[in-house]
Amino acid sequence: MSASYSRVLLSLGRLNFPRLGLQKLTGRFTYATDLNTNSSSGKSKGLPEGKKRGQFGRRNKRIAGPPRTEKMPVDQDWAAVYPSATPFRSNSVPLPVRMGYPVQRGIPPEKKGNLELIKIPNFLHLTPVAIKKHCEALKPFCTEWPSALDSDAECDKHFPVKVKSTDYVSAGPSLRNPSARIVHLRVKLSSLNLDDHAQKKMLKLVGERYCKATDILTITTSSCPLRRQNYDYAMYLLTVLYHESWKTEAWEAEMTVADMEEYSWEGSPSQKNILDILLRMKVEAEGDADEVREKLLVRKDVEEYRDSVMRLKNEGENESSMLQYKEAVKKVLNM
Amino acid sequence: MLQSGQECLVNIELPYTLGFGWTPVLRQQAAETSKESTESIVIPTKKTWNKEAVLQALASSVSRDPTAYPYQFQDDPYLTPRSYAEFQLFSLSQESGRATAKYIVNSNPKFFTKDFAEPHIPCLMPETVLLRLEEVTEEALKERISLRKVKAAVDMYDQLLQSGTAVSKETIHDLLDLICFYCDKDPVQEEAPELADTVRDELKRRKGRFRRASELLKLTWKENNSAERIFNLLPERDARCYSALIRGMVKHGAYAKAFNMYTDLLNNKLTADVHTFNALISAVTGVRETYNERWALITELLNQMTQQKVRPNLLTFNSVLKVLRYYGYFSKTQALQTLNEMKAIGIAPSLATFDHICAAFYKSVSSGSSNSDILQEVMTELAGRSFTCQDPDDVLFFSSAMKICLNGKDLELGYTVQSLVEVGENWKLLGDSYQQSIYYGRFFTLLCMMEHIDVVLKWYRWIIPSLYYPSSLGMSDLLQALDTDSRLDLLPTIWKDIRSLGHDNKPDLVEMLLGLMARDSHSPEVQESFALCALDVKTVVDEKPRFVWSALSLSYITTLLLRANRTEEAWKMLQLFKSNNRVPSEGLLGNFLSVCHSEGSSQKAIELVQLSATLCLSATGKLAKQALADFKLTEKQRAILFDLETTGEPSE
Repeated sequence: MSASYSRVLLSLGRLNFPRLGLQKLTGRFTYATDLNTNSSSGKSKGLPEGKKRGQFGRRNKRIAGPPRTEKMPVDQDWAAVYPSATPFRSNSVPLPVRMGYPVQRGIPPEKKGNLELIKIPNFLHLTPVAIKKHCEALKPFCTEWPSALDSDAECDKHFPVKVKSTDYVSAGPSLRNPSARIVHLRVKLSSLNLDDHAQKKMLKLVGERYCKATDILTITTSSCPLRRQNYDYAMYLLTVLYHESWKTEAWEAEMTVADMEEYSWEGSPSQKNILDILLRMKVEAEGDADEVREKLLVRKDVEEYRDSVMRLKNEGENESSMLQYKEAVKKVLNM
Repeated sequence: MLQSGQECLVNIELPYTLGFGWTPVLRQQAAETSKESTESIVIPTKKTWNKEAVLQALASSVSRDPTAYPYQFQDDPYLTPRSYAEFQLFSLSQESGRATAKYIVNSNPKFFTKDFAEPHIPCLMPETVLLRLEEVTEEALKERISLRKVKAAVDMYDQLLQSGTAVSKETIHDLLDLICFYCDKDPVQEEAPELADTVRDELKRRKGRFRRASELLKLTWKENNSAERIFNLLPERDARCYSALIRGMVKHGAYAKAFNMYTDLLNNKLTADVHTFNALISAVTGVRETYNERWALITELLNQMTQQKVRPNLLTFNSVLKVLRYYGYFSKTQALQTLNEMKAIGIAPSLATFDHICAAFYKSVSSGSSNSDILQEVMTELAGRSFTCQDPDDVLFFSSAMKICLNGKDLELGYTVQSLVEVGENWKLLGDSYQQSIYYGRFFTLLCMMEHIDVVLKWYRWIIPSLYYPSSLGMSDLLQALDTDSRLDLLPTIWKDIRSLGHDNKPDLVEMLLGLMARDSHSPEVQESFALCALDVKTVVDEKPRFVWSALSLSYITTLLLRANRTEEAWKMLQLFKSNNRVPSEGLLGNFLSVCHSEGSSQKAIELVQLSATLCLSATGKLAKQALADFKLTEKQRAILFDLETTGEPSE
């Protein structure tokens, strides 16, 4: 290839040389420049003069045909052009899209040869018409929904445990995706039969997996390599949690105040304090210490005080609880 | 697990939903009743399907895209083939690339040990093509047979015989099958580089159309080759050995020998199997000359078949019908009789059967109607059915059917055949790309002949160029159809297609196109588009160094340019006449002169007359006279014209 090319250049030069008819020196100079320009035009692959090219037997360079968007009728079946996810092909998409940064106050580049359009994922294969067709085609694979399950509440009532996992599809040498093994198991604790102690123990056992707002316990398992194994493990965990929370161990009696979830007023420093204050205030006159305490506890304002303190401690500080505490304190201390 | 015996638990059942991401994990029991609901919840049983069912269902919702390029090529206007020659070149080069890659992978397995694909794809990993066992054992022989190494297997067998080891019957059968199938030569892939050279030499010698490489490399059964030698050395020969030899002989052209072998078999009181009989029936044409003799031999073979209680199959009947095709006078009756027998036994006919029957009824082009009748009946029988390929000759059915339709000029029947092709997977039975191009070529010719231009154009857009690259004959048929229905305004678009198909180097086609454009004058827009098209023709054709301009083409172009009032370019065309040594017609020059008159350029008129004088045209005198009469001329111009007139006159 290079040998014939240099031969061409030399003969072109020879043709040019007598035509110019200048002095030898300048002639050679123009010979050289003519060579350069011809080589540059040859490299840029134009077709300068058809006859000259034909003389040296070089075949015409192949030119690209027109894009097939010109032949597409307006009412064609688009799902046939893009049946599946394929990269953007500018000569198959009859839309005048432009994409890219407008350099120097220009316009975004056109779609032909535009890498930006090819890089991004496109959904040309999922037009609404195509999706309808796919749904129609997939209907034979589906079975009827049970008619009794007509609302979410019914579904929750009969099928409280919900299992979720994801399948992944991608183009590559391997079909496997390690994220496909993850299994999420969700269940509402209200649908499990738990008494008070069991509930509290369950909450302690699961910790962060429980969402208080929605009352849903979520168990996510991904430690096994296969999805079936993870599913079995999740079900096993649910079973074990349930049974364990019903059991009462001996050491649970050693629960300290710091372990308790809720604040209980009985036996707390607050109770001791208010009783001491009331005793000193000599609200109740007779009786010895224990009887006086019991009578004090039964009094209404003390009960109100108790409620307000419990509310403050359990719910946290907000406007209404502070107000309630203020009222209760005023009543108890007779202010 | 959980549910039995735990009454404190509510049903832990899992819902069966087919939403995105929810796994349908389900027991197989049908009905699970809950405790306090009013109606029972019936959970349907899960449907199962095989691995590709979902993909196949989705694929069935997709139809064909008529503007798409053939699927094996890149979807790019630069990289797809635009003519039939390019299509062949590109697809062959793709195949050869794949074959080369496979060859390299198989011959260097040490570089391709890592398996990237999950799950394992066996065809991407190197196959064992190299022999592992070297000792003289039967195992080594079996290995060579399974790797299709004919010569090595024969050598190994000889060595085994010499060493006295006994070889089992199955291995001998396999060995004989191997040798007879490949005609004692190693299969082509083994010796790829050398054979490619021989193929190229063959191709150079035989310039004609070659459809299959196997036609070039037809092997012939040699006298006393390894198969016969081994066969003769066998202590006992059973029917299977005979069958292998007979079929090999028939396959490679030694018909007489095959029949001798068959008589041997009969003498040894063995029964042949159905494949042997099929081979013998197809060999009948090679051993008998006249039709009567052939038919007698066939009937004899068939009788022997029934005597030996061998049940015929589809290929038997197809071979019989293949011989009957050319039987002549009796072919029709015999063919129908064969078909009835086939149905009586219960073998369903395939497309090849029908092809042979239609050919048996087909007499000649002249008596068109009687041919189509049988095809009509065949099509009514086949309507709506889908077929699979059961006989190698099935692929010839559609092209012959379309030939009958074309010769009988029966458009309706042509449509019926096309609708059968469009059923299901029947398009696969159109054969390779060559057969397909024949079929569509005939269909398109039929349409151009008989159908209204709108329908023709609809089909044109549907099958070209995604299914069929028309030849120049097809394009000229289309041009004639356009002419018949006076849709000549579409000619410029057709010219674009002709260009992209690569037919723009055919002078006849170009001349026809230009002639149609130049024949009548049309409305101004159409005229303008014709003029542009003519200019395009000129530029395109100029780039082809070997194109020879004809006088007619040049005059057509000039006429078109004149009609669109492009006088400058028309003037340039006149110069071309001289440089190509062609003579313009008188009418053209007269035309030109009148245009010059309407433009009022007298200098041009003078030049025109001078041009005609240099070309020594007889019309020079008349032109000069007309120019003198019509134009306002200076003295000098008058003088020139007088000269020309006088010089022109004596030559008349």
